[in-house]
Amino acid sequence: MWDSLTLPNANKEKLQYLRENAVLKAHEKAKEEAEAKKVTKQEHKKHALEATMKLEEAERKRIEDLKEKERQKVTKELELWKKQQKDAEKQKRVQKEGELYQVEQLKEKKKEKINKTRIPNEGTSKTRLKPTKGYGSYSMFSENLKEEQLPAPRSAATIRINFTSRVFPTALRESCVAEEEEWLRKQAEARRAISADLSELEDLKEEEKNPDWLKNKGNKMFATGNYLAAVNAYNLAVRLNNKLPLLYLNRAACHLKLRNLHKAIEDSSKALELLTPPVPDNENARVKAYVRRGTAFCQLELYTEGLQDYEAALKIDPKNKTIEKDAEKIRHLIQGTTQDS
Amino acid sequence: MSVAGLERPQLVSHVQQALSYTLFDCKWVPRSARLLCLGSAARGTGLLQLYELRGGRLALLREIEKAKPIKCGTFGATSLQQRYLATGDFGGNLNIWNLEVPEIPVYSVKGHKEIINSIDGVGGLGIGEGAPEIVTGSRDGTVKVWDPRQKDTPVANMEPVQGESKRDCWTVTFEADFVIVGFWTHSLITFGHHLRLDSDLKGNAYNQEERVVCAGYDNGDIKLFDLKTMSLRWETNIKNGVCSLEFDRKDVNMNKLVATSLEGKFHVFDMRTQHPTKGFASVSEKAQKSTIWQVRHLPQNRDIFMTSGGAGSLHLWKYEYPAQRSKKDSEGAEMGVAGSVSLLQNVTLSTQPISSLDWSPDKKGLCVCGAFDQTVRVLIVTKLNKV
Repeated sequence: MWDSLTLPNANKEKLQYLRENAVLKAHEKAKEEAEAKKVTKQEHKKHALEATMKLEEAERKRIEDLKEKERQKVTKELELWKKQQKDAEKQKRVQKEGELYQVEQLKEKKKEKINKTRIPNEGTSKTRLKPTKGYGSYSMFSENLKEEQLPAPRSAATIRINFTSRVFPTALRESCVAEEEEWLRKQAEARRAISADLSELEDLKEEEKNPDWLKNKGNKMFATGNYLAAVNAYNLAVRLNNKLPLLYLNRAACHLKLRNLHKAIEDSSKALELLTPPVPDNENARVKAYVRRGTAFCQLELYTEGLQDYEAALKIDPKNKTIEKDAEKIRHLIQGTTQDS
Repeated sequence: MSVAGLERPQLVSHVQQALSYTLFDCKWVPRSARLLCLGSAARGTGLLQLYELRGGRLALLREIEKAKPIKCGTFGATSLQQRYLATGDFGGNLNIWNLEVPEIPVYSVKGHKEIINSIDGVGGLGIGEGAPEIVTGSRDGTVKVWDPRQKDTPVANMEPVQGESKRDCWTVTFEADFVIVGFWTHSLITFGHHLRLDSDLKGNAYNQEERVVCAGYDNGDIKLFDLKTMSLRWETNIKNGVCSLEFDRKDVNMNKLVATSLEGKFHVFDMRTQHPTKGFASVSEKAQKSTIWQVRHLPQNRDIFMTSGGAGSLHLWKYEYPAQRSKKDSEGAEMGVAGSVSLLQNVTLSTQPISSLDWSPDKKGLCVCGAFDQTVRVLIVTKLNKV
């Protein structure tokens, strides 16, 4: 026990020093305690974690074992069944051989006795005997009976059917129906839309007012090489109905041939605008539009733009070799010019 | 997983075999522990492999190579003794092979202009009555029924009308109703050994037989053709391309039809009652996000079926009948009532679609499935007796 509360004969400084020491020591002690606490806490946590892991592992293992047992049981059953099958087959074979032998014997006997002509059988070598003797060969007989009783082949007929209409060649998927409907609607609208100024078109013949007919006319003239006439036909068709992308597409081709490159670019761009939303149905048209615009750009020596369009075309139709080759050529040209300059 | 979960049927994987070719169809050889794998080799020829289950592995017994890749096959139209395999290949040819002598087909015809997508047979294997017939459905939009006794021409041809654009037929299946119009005697006791009651019935009864063919197309159409009257009996559209169709049993009155489609949906139609305008009642279920490639009913229990999916999973389902299978509508016409479907178990075996599935007709719960990851797997489904 302490004799006194304060140190006797201590000067201020000493007391202060002692006090500071004491405070320091208290600090350290507190720190150590805190650390020790932390450490034990961590250890406890770890321990708890390990324990839970062990429990889960045990559970999993238990389930796995159950499954394994099932599997083994089932495999054993399978093997047993297979053996049974094999035995059954062997028995059947032996039985059949036995029956065959008996049948042969009976045949011999009959041949000796009666001189009847035998009814030709359908491919089987066993004869049809009257089932009077009661041997165990009825499976064979019932087979024969069944063969006799098979109905004749059906008389051939054809049933003609209609399918629920579907415009796209791909299979029907519910999730794609909305997009497809939108595209079809746009197409339908485009066909129905008529331009405003019909007054000057009154002196045209009936068929010349039909954009489809004009398109076909234009196509024919393109085929024969009469590009100016084709352009005229397409112009008129566009005046009647400016929403058909194919008109712009074909007119772009004509302009290419006539070397009206700016017009070709314009028309291809308009066609591409009208060919949205992009569905597999208008893939071909879009590829053509990109290729034509790309060609026009290249002929104007705007190679980078041209390459962009060719690459867009390749993205839609990666298997097209001509597009690939042309894209390569353009790339080389671009590299050639950059090297020169 | 709780213990209760373990009381359900388990799908135990028994054997797995990696193959070196693309597998399109796999079938059990009836009355044996052998299975057949049909597919296409890398060099573009068709391949038939016969395996036998031995211990914990598959032993290759025979390998037969053919000119064109083989898409589908069936044993449905042969007798149990002959066990001839009918196959449809990529060139549209229907061939029937005797696997003992596979060099020359027993029957061969170039039935379609394009690939035969699906084939089914009826009248064989001791199931059902009547003449064996084979039906094939092809990408050229036609469905043709063949009788192996008649060469070159089909006995029935379901084709689009003139000018109609064709749709791919993706799946076909047979069903035989039969109505017994005579009377029979069965003397099971007098015969020397055990005969199945069915076969006795067939031998002595006079049947007037109906057959129907059901076909599914890529535009979602399902059409039911009646071969006796040679007419279209029912059609419907399930809004997604139809991948697989199967009746629950081939040899009794039409009971249920399961149709699976793209986008993870399948429909179960109750085929007992046909309403004049509404057709057959159905219940549909969306099982997963990917295409359901195949559905197969357990031969030993027609209310259990398995579907295989495009994500490599197998789902085992049970159909429960409603309290009343038919009711009268407002005009007094009979209409069917569909029941409900519950999932018993599912398992994911592969990352690639499981395109073919077949239950063994001899051992309950044994099934084989083939996936596009070039693996054939044999599975055993346990506890089916308790379902």
